[in-house]
Formats: sequence, C-alpha cells, structure tokens
Amino acid sequence: MSPRLRRHERPFPPDEQLPDPPQPAGLVLDARLHLLDRQLDDVEGTPVMTIDDLELETDADGLTTVVHLLSGPVLATRIFGGRPPRDRWHRVAWRHVADVGTVVRLGIRGDGLDVLWVERWLRDHVIGRIPGGRHAPE
Amino acid sequence: MLLSDLLDAPVHDADGRALGFVVDVRLVLDGPLDGVLAAPRLHGLLVSPRTGSSFLGYERTDENSPALLARWLRHRHRGTFLVLWDDVLPPDETHTPPAPTITLRHDYRRWSPALPQH
Repeated sequence: MSPRLRRHERPFPPDEQLPDPPQPAGLVLDARLHLLDRQLDDVEGTPVMTIDDLELETDADGLTTVVHLLSGPVLATRIFGGRPPRDRWHRVAWRHVADVGTVVRLGIRGDGLDVLWVERWLRDHVIGRIPGGRHAPE
Repeated sequence: MLLSDLLDAPVHDADGRALGFVVDVRLVLDGPLDGVLAAPRLHGLLVSPRTGSSFLGYERTDENSPALLARWLRHRHRGTFLVLWDDVLPPDETHTPPAPTITLRHDYRRWSPALPQH
C-alpha cells in the first residue's frame, strides 16, 4: 500500500473548503497530470520519446523553472525507488517544445536529438544492410 | 533538481507536524520566454494525505465520469491542498539526491487544489 497519513494523524478536517489560489497569468499545468508519461512528438508528428522526468533549475533570482524534459530507464526506479544515474538520462531542452496537449509537440525534427541514437544506429547498421532495407516498401 | 525528487516526498510544517505527501507539482508558463513557449515556472506543490492514485486528477477538476470512479478517487484525496513554492523552505541540495522531505514556512497558506478553468 502506498504511504498515507492515518485518519487520526491528519492535521486538518478533510472536507474543509479552501480559498482559490491567486490566478497566475500563464497557462497552468500539473506536471504529473499534464506532462509525465506523455508522448513527445517532433514537428512532423514522429514519436521521439516518453517524458519520464523533468529537470528543474533555480536561477540567481530564485526563480525555479523547467529546463529539460528527460527520458530514461525509470521502470526499476519507479518500483524500487532511487533514480537512474545522470548519464543514463536523455535530455530535450524545453526551448524546443512548441505545444502541450494530449501529446507534447516539438518545433524541431527529431533526427538530430541524442535520444534517437539507438534507432539511427539500428537503421544504418542493421536494417540498412538487409536487402530492400533502404527504401520504403512498394 | 529533478521533478521525481519532489514527487511523493513527505511534507511537514515548521513544527515537524506531518501534513501529507507531494502528489503533484504545479507549473505556470509565465517564466522567461524560452523558445516558442515561456519556461514553466514552479508555482506550487499539491499535498495530499495519500500518495497513490492522484495521477488521474479527479480532486482537481470537475470531471465526473465514470461516476463511481470519480467519486471514489475524489473521496480518497479529500484534504488535498496547494501550497505555493514561496511557502516552501529551500530543499537541502547538499544531499544527492536531495533529502526527500519538504518543510513549509511558519506562515504558509493552504489553497484549493482545483485547476483554474481556462
């Protein structure tokens, strides 16, 4: 069972009506609800990766913002805890994001992104060497 | 800092009283312009007495279907509140990964977790 506060440990009445928070000017997103586990497509609609985590940075003024979308081997760490080593993450900079909806869409082509190096390597070194592997099926 | 360092972390007030767990992180696209969109600024944390099953967000929206599921999940996450990031004491980043406990300031305020209607 996931961690929770037992009923007698809860410090506030559960059905309390709370005031609405101050309305910020920009679009509001909840990270887990709107970003995590969403598919990331490039500008042509080709799937690039799934968003497994976000990297946050705090600047000199104390403003904390999302700077990278991360993809990596998170299955084991989500079950057992911890996080993958830093060098196992693939990063896509937030500045490449063009739209956030049912999928998150980039404004660039995915060909140049590090996250697709395995697919590129397999295309060039394995699929490309199979007879007929360098052109679309007829 | 990674988002996963914050998610599911226990939250305490300044007196050490347990308040719940971080079930989500609220971002607002009003940071510095970074490419096509503004950079998402960390606006606040959603704190619930439970960690699991909040990913569907029923306690934050008006979504009511399927009715049984919506009612049950909303009931499980009653008591969820939003606390603004300014009311959170800076996490101790000397730990790697950062110490998984969030401590709020003395004068923190609790807000409704509902997402604004755009």
